[in-house]
Amino acid sequence: MRGLGMTYPRRAHGLAAAIALALAFGVAACGEEKEEEPAAGGSGSGAAAKKDCGEVTINENAWAGSTANVYIAKAVLEEDLGCEVEITKIAEIPVFQAMADGKVDTVLEDWQHTDEYEKYIEQAGTVVDGGPLGVEGHIGWFIPQYLMDENPEFETWEGLKGQEDLFKTAESGDQGMFLGGDPSYVQKDKELIEALDLNFKHVTAGAEPAQVARWSQLYKQKKPVIFYWYTPQFLNQQYDLAEVQLPERFEGCKDDAKSGGDPEQYKCAYDVTVIQKLFSKEFAESGSPAYDVLKKMKLTNEDQELVAKQIAGDKVDPEKAGADWVAANRDKVDAWLK
Amino acid sequence: VAVASERIAARAVPSPARHLRGRPAQVAAVVALMLLAYTLVRGEAPWPESLVWQQLPEELDEFQAWLIEQRTAADRSIVFTIFDGFRAFADWLVNAFTDALLWLTWAGTLAAGVLIVLRFGGLRAALVVFAAFVSFALMGLWEESIQTLALMGAAVSLSLLVGVPLGIVAGRSQRVHRAITPALDAMQIVPAFAYLMPVVILFSVGPAAAVICTMIYAIPPAVRITALGIRGVTHDTVEASQAFGATALQTLFKVQLPLARRELLLALNQTIMFGLSLVVIAGLIGGRGLGDVVTSGLYSNPALALLAGLAIVIMAIALDRATSAMAERTDPTRRHLTDEGRRRARLSTLGTLAAIVVIALAARALGAQDVYPEEFETATTIYTATIQDTLLGWIQSVLDYVQDPESFIFGITEPVGDFLVKYGLEPLRKFLVELPWYVTVAGLTAIAFLISGRRPAVTVAAMLAAIGVMGMWDPAMDTASQVLVATAIAVVIGIAIGVWAAESPRVEKLLRPVLDTLQTLPQLVYIIPFIYLMPVSRVPGVVASVLYAVPVVIRLVTAGVRGVPAAPVEAAMAFGATRTQALAKVKLPLARESIMLGVNQGIIMVLAVVVIGGLVGSGALGDLVARGLQRNEFGEGVVASLAILALGIALDRVTQSRGGRGAGQQR
Repeated sequence: MRGLGMTYPRRAHGLAAAIALALAFGVAACGEEKEEEPAAGGSGSGAAAKKDCGEVTINENAWAGSTANVYIAKAVLEEDLGCEVEITKIAEIPVFQAMADGKVDTVLEDWQHTDEYEKYIEQAGTVVDGGPLGVEGHIGWFIPQYLMDENPEFETWEGLKGQEDLFKTAESGDQGMFLGGDPSYVQKDKELIEALDLNFKHVTAGAEPAQVARWSQLYKQKKPVIFYWYTPQFLNQQYDLAEVQLPERFEGCKDDAKSGGDPEQYKCAYDVTVIQKLFSKEFAESGSPAYDVLKKMKLTNEDQELVAKQIAGDKVDPEKAGADWVAANRDKVDAWLK
Repeated sequence: VAVASERIAARAVPSPARHLRGRPAQVAAVVALMLLAYTLVRGEAPWPESLVWQQLPEELDEFQAWLIEQRTAADRSIVFTIFDGFRAFADWLVNAFTDALLWLTWAGTLAAGVLIVLRFGGLRAALVVFAAFVSFALMGLWEESIQTLALMGAAVSLSLLVGVPLGIVAGRSQRVHRAITPALDAMQIVPAFAYLMPVVILFSVGPAAAVICTMIYAIPPAVRITALGIRGVTHDTVEASQAFGATALQTLFKVQLPLARRELLLALNQTIMFGLSLVVIAGLIGGRGLGDVVTSGLYSNPALALLAGLAIVIMAIALDRATSAMAERTDPTRRHLTDEGRRRARLSTLGTLAAIVVIALAARALGAQDVYPEEFETATTIYTATIQDTLLGWIQSVLDYVQDPESFIFGITEPVGDFLVKYGLEPLRKFLVELPWYVTVAGLTAIAFLISGRRPAVTVAAMLAAIGVMGMWDPAMDTASQVLVATAIAVVIGIAIGVWAAESPRVEKLLRPVLDTLQTLPQLVYIIPFIYLMPVSRVPGVVASVLYAVPVVIRLVTAGVRGVPAAPVEAAMAFGATRTQALAKVKLPLARESIMLGVNQGIIMVLAVVVIGGLVGSGALGDLVARGLQRNEFGEGVVASLAILALGIALDRVTQSRGGRGAGQQR
C-alpha cells in the first residue's frame, strides 16, 4: 500500500485480454496450488462435530435488536448447555447460502425474506423455518414529532403531496429528500415514491449508523426530514418520532423491491413483520440440544429493546447485557430449557 | 518507515519530456467544445436503450444459479473440484496459521514476534513489534489481531508462492514480462471492491475468498519487485558465471537469487503492505479479524471500527519496520562474513527458535488460561476491558462532538459539504450524465489522445462503450463526477504541499509520518469519521478519497521538483529570476511529467475509495456493488463491478501521458 503499486509500469496492451488474464490468472494460479498440496480436511468454521452441545454458530445482523437476541441466546447456550457459541456477521441475504452450506447454524431474526424462503426452505430444503421469535417488526416512513405537530396533514402520505419541497437538501437538489434505509434491509421506498407520484429523491445513506447520523443531525437542528425507519428500535425511546400513514394494504401487495414487478404492486403500507427464526437443516437434524432451546426461544419487543438499548445506547458489553437479562428473566429462560 | 516506498518512488521519477507543451491549450479546447455541446443539446442523447445489453444481469444471475447447482451436483466437472479444493485448502491454511499462533499462546506469539525480529532485524525493529503486540492487548483486540496475522500469513505466502516464480521468469525473459504486464496492471488498477462479487460467486464467503481477494492485489508487487531484482543483477556477473560453465539453474540459484536477496525481501515487505490494505475489504466477505471488526463496526459500533482501524495501522507499521529492517540487515553487499561469523549466526538463529519453543511450552505448562488468547483477554479483563472502554469512550465523544449540529466544527463542515455538492459534485454529475453520450465518448477519447497517445485513446473509447452497453452509463458518470472532483482537490492540495516540501526539507521531514499514516490507514477507515462530519451522502467518500490520494501526489510532486536538474535553475537565477519565478517558469514545467503521474496515480486511488463510499451512501457504482453483496443481487453487482473496472482503465488511460508510461521504467 505504501510503496504504491500504482507507481509501477503500466502499458497499453490489448485490454480485454488484460482483464481476462487478470481474472483467469488469479483463479488459475489458485488451482495450481491446490494440486501442490491436496486439501487436508478443510475444518473451517461453522458446524463442527456436535456431541453434547458442541459448537453453535449464530449469525448476528447489522442492527442492535439482532445483537440483543444473539447475546441472550449465547448466554443461555453457554451457561445452561455448555455450548461453545460462535458469532458470525454475514449480511441478511448471503447468510441463507451460508446456512445452506452449514457454515451458519441459525439466524434468530429474519424479517421475512419471502424470496429466499421459497428458494432455500421450500425448494432446496437446506434451511428450515424455526417459527416466530415473538418480536413483531414494523417498517414505515417516519418524521420527527415536532414536524408532525407543525404539519398535521403529514399524518397520511397524501399530506406530503405538494409539500415535498420542505424536505429539500443540498443532496436532493430541486426535489425533497427521502432518506432511504440501509441497502441490505427489506425496502420498497423508491417504488412507493414512484407509485405515489411524490416529488422525492431517494437518497441512500448506506449503512444504518450513517442514516441515523444524518436524520438525527437534522432532528437536533429541528429541520424537516422524512426517512425509512422501523420498530422495535431502541432509538425510538430517545427520539420522538411519528409515522406517516401509507396507503392501505391489498391482496398481493409486495414489500421487498427485490422481488421485482410493477411499481403499482408496492403501493401500500409495509406489512407487520412476524420475525422469524431460521435454522440450517444440518443443525436442525444434528440432534444438538441447542436446537431445541433455540426453537423454543421467545422474546417480546420490550425484551429486545431493553437489551438493545443497553448494548447500543449505553455501550454495555453485549455479553454482560445478555447474561443480565437471562439472570433477570430466569422464568422465561427456564421455559425454553424444558 | 518509508524505506521501501522511497526506493520505489525514486524509480518512479520520470524524466521530463517535452511533448506536453502546447497540450493544455488543446485539452482546454476539447473541454470547451464539450461545454458548448452541453449548452446546446443537453439531456437529448442519453445512452440509447437499444445499445444496452438488457439481459446481462439476468444472464449473470443464471450463471450464478448454474454455478451453485454445478458445485453441488454429483457429476460436477473437474473445474469445480479444483475451485472447491482450493477453497478448502485456503480455509485450511488460514486455520493452520491461526492454530499455530494459538498453540504458541499469547506469550509465545509475543516472544516469537519479538525474538525473530530481534535476530534478523535488530533491536529497534524488535521494540516496535513489541509495542505493537502490547497495544493489541491493551486495545482488547488481541484475538482479532491474531486472526488478521493468520489471514495475512496465508495470503502473503500464497502470493509469494505465485508471485516470486513468476517474477523470476519475468526477470529472465523480456517476452514473458511484456506478456504479463497488462494483467498485473489490471490487477492493480481495479479497485478491490470490484472483484468482491466475482470472487464470492466462485469461492463463496469465508477465509478462502478473503485470501483470493488479497492475492489479486498483492501478487503484482511480488512479481514486479522480484523481476526487478533478477534483472538488477549485472550482466557481467551472469556472463561470468556462464563462462565458468554454470547451467541456467545454477546461475539462477547461485548468482541471481542471492544477489537479488534484498529485492526479494522488499517484495515480501510490499506484499504484506498491499495485503494488509485489503484486510478491511476482505472483512466484507467473511475474512475474520480486524477487518471484520471494521466492517461490522461500521454498522453497529463506529468507535470500535475506528479502533480496529488503528490496530491495522499499528500492525502495518510494525510489519513494515520489521521486514525493512531485515532487508537492510541481510543485504549481502553489506555482509562479509567469515566462516566463524556464519557459524555464530546460525547458532543464534537456532537459539532464537529454541527460545521461542521453550517460552511457548513454558507458557502452556504454566497456566491453562494462557492457551488461547481469548482466555487471555477474559483473564485480564480488569486491564483490557477498561483500557479498551476508555479508548472507545474517547473516540465516541469525538464522534459525538463532530456529529452535534451545535458544535463549532459542524458549523464549518456542513456548509463546506453543501458547497461541494451544490457547486462541484452535482453540476459535474449533471454535465456528464446529460451531455450527449457520443460527445462524452468523443471528448474523452480526444483528451486521451492528446495526453496519452493513440492506443490509450482507442482503449478509452472501448471502455466507455463497454460501460454503456452494460447499461451502467448513468451511475458510471455519477461515479466519474465524484472521482474528478476529488482528484481535482487532491491534485491542487498535493501540488501546493508537494512543492513546499520540495523547497523545504524541514517540511518534508515533518510531513513524512503524516503521509505514512495516511497511506497505511485502510480505505474504509477514512470514511467513518466523515459520515458524522459531513452529513451529505456523497461528500464523505470524496473527502476520504482526497485524504487517501493526496500523499501519493505530494510524494510524486516533491520527487519531481527535486529531480529537476540544477543547471537550468541556476541559469534562471543567474539571469535574475526570483525564487518564485524559478519555481513557476523552470521547476514546475520541468517537473510536469511527474505532476501528470501524480494526477494519474491520484485518480486511480480516488476511484478505489469513492466506490467504497457506496457503503456509506455515495450511491452510483459502489452502491450497486454493495447492494449486490448484501442483497445477493449478483447480476447487477457483477455488472457494476465490470463497469468500475472499465471506468478505472479509462480514467487511467486518459491521464497516462505519453512519457508517463515510464512510471516505473526499469533502468
